[in-house]
Amino acid sequence: MNINQIKKEFPIFDEKIQNNDLVYLDSANSSQKPKVVVDRINEFYTKQFSNVGRSVHYLAVAATNLYENTRTSVQKYINAKDKNEIVFTKGATEALNLVANTLGQSYLQEGDEVLITELEHHSNYVPWHFLRKSKNIKINFAEINEEGEITLEEIEKKITPKTRLISITHLSNVTGAILPVKEITQLAHSKGIIVVVDGCQGAPHLKLDMQELDCDFYAISCHKMYGPTGLGVLYGKKKWLEELPPYQGGGGMINEVKKDRISYGELPNKYEAGTMATAQVIAFDQSIKFLESIGIENVMKHEAELVEYGQELLQKNNSVKLIGNPKNKGGVLSFTIEGVHPHDIATILDEDGVAIRAGHHCCQILHDKLNIPASARASVGIYNTKEDLDQLNESIKNCKKIFNL
Amino acid sequence: MNLKELYQEIILEHGKNPRNLRKTEDFNRNAKGNNPLCGDNVHVYLKLNGQKIVEDISFEGSGCAISMASASIMTDLIKGKNEHEAKEIVEDFLGMIKENPELKSENLDEDEKTKLMCLSGVKQYPMRVKCATLSWHTLVSAFDERKEEVKTEN
Repeated sequence: MNINQIKKEFPIFDEKIQNNDLVYLDSANSSQKPKVVVDRINEFYTKQFSNVGRSVHYLAVAATNLYENTRTSVQKYINAKDKNEIVFTKGATEALNLVANTLGQSYLQEGDEVLITELEHHSNYVPWHFLRKSKNIKINFAEINEEGEITLEEIEKKITPKTRLISITHLSNVTGAILPVKEITQLAHSKGIIVVVDGCQGAPHLKLDMQELDCDFYAISCHKMYGPTGLGVLYGKKKWLEELPPYQGGGGMINEVKKDRISYGELPNKYEAGTMATAQVIAFDQSIKFLESIGIENVMKHEAELVEYGQELLQKNNSVKLIGNPKNKGGVLSFTIEGVHPHDIATILDEDGVAIRAGHHCCQILHDKLNIPASARASVGIYNTKEDLDQLNESIKNCKKIFNL
Repeated sequence: MNLKELYQEIILEHGKNPRNLRKTEDFNRNAKGNNPLCGDNVHVYLKLNGQKIVEDISFEGSGCAISMASASIMTDLIKGKNEHEAKEIVEDFLGMIKENPELKSENLDEDEKTKLMCLSGVKQYPMRVKCATLSWHTLVSAFDERKEEVKTEN
């Protein structure tokens, strides 16, 4: 696999960013887009555009087929049993809100407990908090260990007779810990507990097999997966999607509408009310093809090498303190520098064209636990090289120079 | 090159050793400010006397070098000014950070203006302007006894 060749497929790397070559280390936030994805959006709007699933004219039928093709591609990519288990949403956030909202309407009862973890992104906490407010459910937190991991044992310890649902990240966007989702699901199911997975960081970087993981729901963010913004995927087991009520009402999701009664459409339309992000869905097919052309095993191997290299480099750089040291780690390097606030780090790195993220990364619970207000985070994607991490390391040295450390 | 303008010695020094980073025990005005995007927070305490002169001012909080230095310099300048003067200085500072090339306030002497102008490097970093302005917005909120937490916009 030739990374420089892959990098050439991303037009942004031809750009000079403030006169620098771009060292993009913010893929956990959002990935850059390969040309095929950008071109596909353009092509659809210029040559093929129509709304989908409504009209009978030629363009409408063709667009509908393209839209549904992506659904099939996603189904195959994540090895879901049924095409109708794939629901398009406006993002992973909406996917998680959909799950919390519909389970809250018809499944979770007052006093029920939901188990999440201290690693969760706000989008896998706030929707459950809504139910804490409206339905009086209780939220418990599985705690991280010294390495920033969530272990199966910790989950087991936090399960109570009232736990009805476990909602966990697949891969932490701060510590990089990969959670044992399959084992957690086995344990949960043995106790009749549902499992929801926030797959925002998992989907772009790990091999996905819904039938093997066996979780009940899995949320995907397409823009982190070399795809367009404004699009997410919710995988849900068919029995759940059939049983749960609709999330939003509107066009497309209905079967029959009368003054005194309304019946809802079949899957997947039931959860896709209104005009969807059509161009994005159609272009996302190219993202999947792009990932398939590289092969997820190759992606994982490359990113694992990068993380190992970056970890070693930063560990040697004294005064840099890495956050978390999980055995099973994804492409995230979060760190602090004694005496330099993460925002200052980010600004100084930016001057060299090194794009990282600083802040709490939508994980305030975790930062509170670590007793730090913020952290700096470098995260990798398929286009990153060891040279990018060398540059990161050099620019970090510059931080210390500027701050006279 | 711009980084040198942003991180001038005086900013680094104030960021490292912020003045008045404490809590005025007998405060009679206070307000909190928060920057929800990055997690910076500040709590400003004021002790006003009968003539509405700032007898003491202090702050607690955490943030980047820019936000800590800005709060530190602000508290140094505001001490001894009355409410009217202080608010006029805030207006002038915010105007300078946004667009004005220089400070105009008659309530600031040349030394104070020079010190404040050290923060002008922020202009070139739109995402960092809110770091510099959070404590100033919070100060106004404390004067006005607003209960809501200040949230910065860009």
